[in-house]
Amino acid sequence: MATDDTALRLLPTRFSRVSIGLVVAVGVLVPFVVSGDFWMTVLVSAGIFAMGAVGLNVLTGFTGQVSLGHAFFLGCGAYTAAYLGAARGWPLPLWLLAAGVIGGVIGGIVGPFALRLKGNYLVVVTLGLVFIGIHIFENWDRVTGGTNGTSTSQAELSLGFTDFRSFSIPGKDFSELQGLYYLVWILAGLFVLVSANIVRSRPGRALQAVRDRDVAAEVVGISLPRYKIGAFVISSSMAAMAGAMLGVQQQFVGPTSWNIFLSIQYVAIIIVGGVGMVSGAVLGALFLGPLPEIVEKYSDKLPFLYEVKGEGGIVSIAAFNEMLFGALLIVFLLFEPRGLAALWLRAKARFRTARSTP
Amino acid sequence: MSLLEVREISLSFGGVRAISDVTFDVEAGELFAVIGPNGAGKTSIFNCLNGVYEPRGSIKLEGLELTGLPPSKIASLGIARTFQNLALFSNLDVISNLMLGRHHLMKTGFIAGALWVGRAKREEIVHRRRCEEIVELLELTPYRRQPIGTLPYGIQKRIELGRALAMDPKVLLLDEPVAGMNLEETEGMARYILDIRDELGVAMVLVEHDMHFVMDLADRLLVLEFGQVIAVGTPEQIANDPNVIRAYLGEAS
Repeated sequence: MATDDTALRLLPTRFSRVSIGLVVAVGVLVPFVVSGDFWMTVLVSAGIFAMGAVGLNVLTGFTGQVSLGHAFFLGCGAYTAAYLGAARGWPLPLWLLAAGVIGGVIGGIVGPFALRLKGNYLVVVTLGLVFIGIHIFENWDRVTGGTNGTSTSQAELSLGFTDFRSFSIPGKDFSELQGLYYLVWILAGLFVLVSANIVRSRPGRALQAVRDRDVAAEVVGISLPRYKIGAFVISSSMAAMAGAMLGVQQQFVGPTSWNIFLSIQYVAIIIVGGVGMVSGAVLGALFLGPLPEIVEKYSDKLPFLYEVKGEGGIVSIAAFNEMLFGALLIVFLLFEPRGLAALWLRAKARFRTARSTP
Repeated sequence: MSLLEVREISLSFGGVRAISDVTFDVEAGELFAVIGPNGAGKTSIFNCLNGVYEPRGSIKLEGLELTGLPPSKIASLGIARTFQNLALFSNLDVISNLMLGRHHLMKTGFIAGALWVGRAKREEIVHRRRCEEIVELLELTPYRRQPIGTLPYGIQKRIELGRALAMDPKVLLLDEPVAGMNLEETEGMARYILDIRDELGVAMVLVEHDMHFVMDLADRLLVLEFGQVIAVGTPEQIANDPNVIRAYLGEAS
């Protein structure tokens, strides 16, 4: 019979196992080659974006619920890292898990709105979250430090014998950025594994059924509240953990970082990467996540950009970044709605046919 | 006690009575057909049976009251259905669609699924095997790994039947299983329906326009007109029933 264990494997073909192995190997070796602070920062950002994007993909990609509230959940996580990790000195696993739990609980409170609202209406409600969030972050001084923000530089970053702020192996000392790089990408890898496992088992199939046709999903016995809210909980929990890492990376958490642009950036990442494909979220994060930082770095090479008004140029760096995201969104939605991951699948298919027809 | 007991169910939309005081029984292993002109209330009865609408009156499956329960609960109690205009999960492949039929028989939750240890994997293997049997019964093997959206209509109809069957239902509701099919496809579907009854012994309630199809297949029929039952009986009784002849052929002057 055709029921075979290989069909159930995460990586069914040798090709996929080899490619993943290569990707992991390259990832491990990067800090041995790249030591400049700028590019390390870029890769750390990309890893954090990957964590959050994998989460958003569970909600938007697999369950079909578009949310612009992601920035709010990231913010919740960042303040948790500052309050519990830095101010209270909780150890890394505890403040990180606390961020995940807080994000998940708030997601579980917001989730029921998704039961009554669909499409654009849900987008507007989740957008409202971002504004409520900024208001809370600005005014709950005792926890958030109000408009002055709060520091995360004291947050504990060690796990067992490994302090990610400065660890070394025989013959190599790693910088704090390089340590952070390993930490965020290990977490991103775990998130990828968790969401890939969910997708190939019963709960993930149910999410996709809800996305494809919710009436039929109910008729085969899928409880819509359970899965719509569940998707929200997972997504916001992952977002909050990504936010906690972002807070630590920036060493400072202020109320205005958690704005619509950040949410839109996440939506753009999963669309450009490939909606509804776990690998898409990671590809999108690598490609789009650090783009604003790279643009800023090379802005002096682009004469039409200005950093301070009046120094020449026609558009500010921030505005240009927003336009770039808009343009990429439009291009991908028009020409490759399934994103970079689909380009990759197509290239792979072509490679296979080329190999099988000598 | 019959397997399915429907007692005086009525349903109104605003002032319009879609069905009024409909009563019937379905026995175990029976192929029961509901026929009637367009708008007679056939699909409305289905929507009551599986909880999409909530009628007045009583619907009992093995003595258990179903009215008022949500569709997902009714599905897990053993009522499966197919839709007139297909309701498949079009981005998923055939196997995943059938596996979704088995959703209510499985237990893996978010955490077990995320970890993919022990039960999650074992359960997946056991239920996948059952789905593969259904794939073979309905001759869907060539398509098993393809996303549904790319497959022809007739095949999709069969996949939907497969998904309903994968639910291990006590009663299977088939809403116009041969609508829009050519003669060959219709005969194929009739064969699958008979196979299901003979091999699996599942009771079926069938709504259909195609009179030949229904008369050949059904053990008993119920004829609806304007939401009311005008006759119930075997195909011979129905064919000779004066009320049915009047409803279908008009009054003899």
